[in-house]
Amino acid sequence: MAGRAPFLKVVGTPQAPPAAPAAFAPPFLAPYLRAVRKLDGAGYGASLVAAYERAAAEVAAAVGPEPAIEMADTVSAVVVKAGRRSGERVADAAGDAARRFADPLRFRSWLGLMQRFAAMAPDSVAAVGERMATLLGTLDLSGLEAWLLAGVREAGGDTERRAAFFSFDRPEAARWLAREAGEVVFADHERRLKAYLCALFDVHVPIREPAPGAPEPQRRRPGFAEGLIRMPPTFPGYRGEAAQDVFRAALAHVGAHIRFTGARFPVGQLKPMQVAVVSLIEDARVEALAMRELPGLKRLWLPFHIAHPSGPATAPSLFARLARALIDPDFEDRDGWVRKGRDLFHAAAERMEDPAISRRIGNVLGNDLGQMRVQFNAKTYVVEPPYRDDNLGLWDFGEAPPEDEEAEVIVEAVTIRQTREDEGAADRDRPEEADEGHTSVRLADPDPAAGVPVARYPEYDYQVGRERADWVTVKEYAPRLGSARTVTAILERHHAVRRRIEALIKTARVGRPERLKRRIEGEALDLDAVLDAAIDRRTGSTPDERVYQTTARRQRSLSVLVLVDTSQSTRDRVKGATTSVLDMERDATLLLAEAMDGLGDAFALAAFASDTREDVRYTRLKDFTEDYGGRAREALAGLAPGYSTRLGAALRHAGRDLAAQATHRRLVLVLSDGEPSDIDCPDPRYLVEDARRAVQSLAAQGIDAFCIALDSGADAAHAKIFGARNVLPIARVEQLPQRLPILYMRLTS
Amino acid sequence: MALDAYRITEEPYYSPAGNEVRLFEAAYAVRLPMMLKGPTGCGKTRFIEHMAWRLDRPLVTVSCHEDMTASDLVGRFLLEGDTTVWHDGPLTTAVREGAVCYLDEIVEARQDTTVVIHSLTDDRRILPLEKKKELVKAHPDFQLVISYNPGYQSVLKDLKESTKQRFCAIDFAYPDSAAEAAIIVAEAGVERKVADQLVTIAARSRNLKGHGLEEGASTRMLIHAGKLTGHGVPFGEACQIALVTPITDDPDIRDALASVIRAAV
Repeated sequence: MAGRAPFLKVVGTPQAPPAAPAAFAPPFLAPYLRAVRKLDGAGYGASLVAAYERAAAEVAAAVGPEPAIEMADTVSAVVVKAGRRSGERVADAAGDAARRFADPLRFRSWLGLMQRFAAMAPDSVAAVGERMATLLGTLDLSGLEAWLLAGVREAGGDTERRAAFFSFDRPEAARWLAREAGEVVFADHERRLKAYLCALFDVHVPIREPAPGAPEPQRRRPGFAEGLIRMPPTFPGYRGEAAQDVFRAALAHVGAHIRFTGARFPVGQLKPMQVAVVSLIEDARVEALAMRELPGLKRLWLPFHIAHPSGPATAPSLFARLARALIDPDFEDRDGWVRKGRDLFHAAAERMEDPAISRRIGNVLGNDLGQMRVQFNAKTYVVEPPYRDDNLGLWDFGEAPPEDEEAEVIVEAVTIRQTREDEGAADRDRPEEADEGHTSVRLADPDPAAGVPVARYPEYDYQVGRERADWVTVKEYAPRLGSARTVTAILERHHAVRRRIEALIKTARVGRPERLKRRIEGEALDLDAVLDAAIDRRTGSTPDERVYQTTARRQRSLSVLVLVDTSQSTRDRVKGATTSVLDMERDATLLLAEAMDGLGDAFALAAFASDTREDVRYTRLKDFTEDYGGRAREALAGLAPGYSTRLGAALRHAGRDLAAQATHRRLVLVLSDGEPSDIDCPDPRYLVEDARRAVQSLAAQGIDAFCIALDSGADAAHAKIFGARNVLPIARVEQLPQRLPILYMRLTS
Repeated sequence: MALDAYRITEEPYYSPAGNEVRLFEAAYAVRLPMMLKGPTGCGKTRFIEHMAWRLDRPLVTVSCHEDMTASDLVGRFLLEGDTTVWHDGPLTTAVREGAVCYLDEIVEARQDTTVVIHSLTDDRRILPLEKKKELVKAHPDFQLVISYNPGYQSVLKDLKESTKQRFCAIDFAYPDSAAEAAIIVAEAGVERKVADQLVTIAARSRNLKGHGLEEGASTRMLIHAGKLTGHGVPFGEACQIALVTPITDDPDIRDALASVIRAAV
């Protein structure tokens, strides 16, 4: 049989398993052999066929022969998209996957996922395949899919970046892995944990994740510096409520430092080991003080102290035991050093408020360790238990602080820029940036041309059906001011429209319904008034005829935020006109602003564009609190087109301003000429779905979103995002200046 | 006397935080109208009850609300059979009989209602009843007291400047922790230790004012929680239903408060 020849040839190679495993007994033998022949005939090479055969045996044993045979098609498809090596890696991973799932259906889903991934990110298949066992150790199938998509989206089409993600060279990879694995991630609970810290110690400082380039101990442990708390995104090994408790314990501990430690300790001539021991005593001291006020904190902290009173007397072991001995009265340790530490600490109970005791006790104990010749490696030392901070915040290192990363975590932006510049080693080495004291100055006085990162927002991935937290960075840019003459010219050009707007203003009414009593007419009788009138009649005086009551909306209670899309496409000329789309948007917004100002409505104006998810460019032209006047008009006149349209993030950012407005009605009015898009999002549906999600979440906050869709052919997308009734397509853009104010009246009355 | 029902016969428990008792007595001695300012549940109403008892005056309390008209305060004609009969409102009664009239949460009332008190708050001390064409001269013992919670201050709800400036005002805050614990012991009948725990929790919740909570837990809420524990409700649950659940609907803030309660005991 000529057909068998390749098969025989393959099994003859040394690394291949024996021919046709038992799992492929008839009737599966023939299809299996066909699959092998097909792979071999395609010329992918012997090692690939061998890999398939090895995998097929394992898969067949775990989930049956049929999926093992189907796997040949997947391997083949992967090779076509991503090359031979990728095909081999997928085949190698298949055995693990099959054992892990032990279910033919789910294994088939995994095959499908690998095939799709090969199409999306061909250059990363091999890297993922190699790590499949690890990945499947923490992720289920949907988690794996979500993680793979997160990596693809995170890279935004940048292949190098993508490769770095999937080979775990970017810290984001581990972060998203933790997230998808269902580990408790700080960001997901940040609000409640911050409220907890604020309630416990009246501490209100920002909390940030460590910079990706920070040394390992800093990434594993919390920390604090003046005006900032650093918190690792996850505590590996803790799940569910226990993980939330680690975060609570960590914040309570850092809060206790902020409350009770006071001034930093000068590090002076202390050796690293002494620093560690003094820190340990100080940790116990602030906890003791905190527990005096809040005894329940002990129940929170104690379970993390799991040191045993035995084992070798290494520094980390002794430290963990002493830490436990100082908080746990039931802990018994025969070690002389631990007992001495505990005795000294208890002897100082009366002076617990005095931070100097930590220094004194720590010095004594540190010297003892020196005499005991206990070795201490400051580089590898990690504070135990995990909720305790790395203690860098306790110490004043004088001129050259070793924790220069702290300056970088102060604003995530720095982090972000740094990661973009390949971990930004050069950045960190610049001494002025490492100087913590200057950081706030630098941030407070940014380069006007550069954006200031102000917020991070989630983005919704419809393919996995969930929001990715902290996915998009909004940067605010100072407006460029145009000339006042431009403004005057525009207003003159639209003279007639302005007159109509003024007339409309006079009739417009919005507001909260209010009960109006003692009216000449109305829907219901005002009983008080009727009674009074009856009495007036009987007492012979003239009754008041105003005996009705009615409800009416008396004053306008409305806030409007106009969000102008200034993406590159708005540079286009309007058909048959000499002006661009952006000019029309600007004119319309200007006229609308004049109208809103005339009505006394609270309004804000902003423009947006985007340049990848790390730079959603948001320009405040006028804030709610700001008076409308020359500056806002000039800011409008200075609008310039450029970049892309990441609508969802802009909507979320606008929503944050609107949410703070205490009015009856809140409205965001988007002027846009195209559907959402950005250069890092090849999937056209992705940003549309995200914007739709953003609109929904605004609606949940009682904020209405409306879109003026300028002639663009993107009507379908806009209808999907805002709902068909909330989109006004304007075919002839030159009508916009006239129609916008009228539309506004319709929307707000 | 018509106002006997309004007399306070037993001493209402009140623990002074400062010299507010003396100040109020002085203000009463010269019949100055008083405004009691402070957050909800900090003891304003209890203070005025205590002062009415101390001064041996009947106390007429009116809880103000947005539909309250001037007639609701001063009185109105009512139909009885074929005739009309005038009925004094609570304010008029207090003015005639010489009671302390306490308008609780005055900002809740409409502004056109509150102007009727103006002529009572200056040296005229009269209340014109326009309908009845009568000018009621205030009884020498009459005093007007209003309460006002600046926490609710907004554009929509604020006292008119012309009303504000007619009053002397005493600021009330939550008592300090020792005093607050003593109050809880006295009012809820709990042990000092429980009271201390409640006070610790309250202090923590007040840290959240403006950071997720409009107001922290009031002394009143602590007394509620204390009373519940006295009836066998476990401490944590008592705090949950008396402090956490009423104060906010925000799940994150509730979680933070619940964690604080766990930390406090």
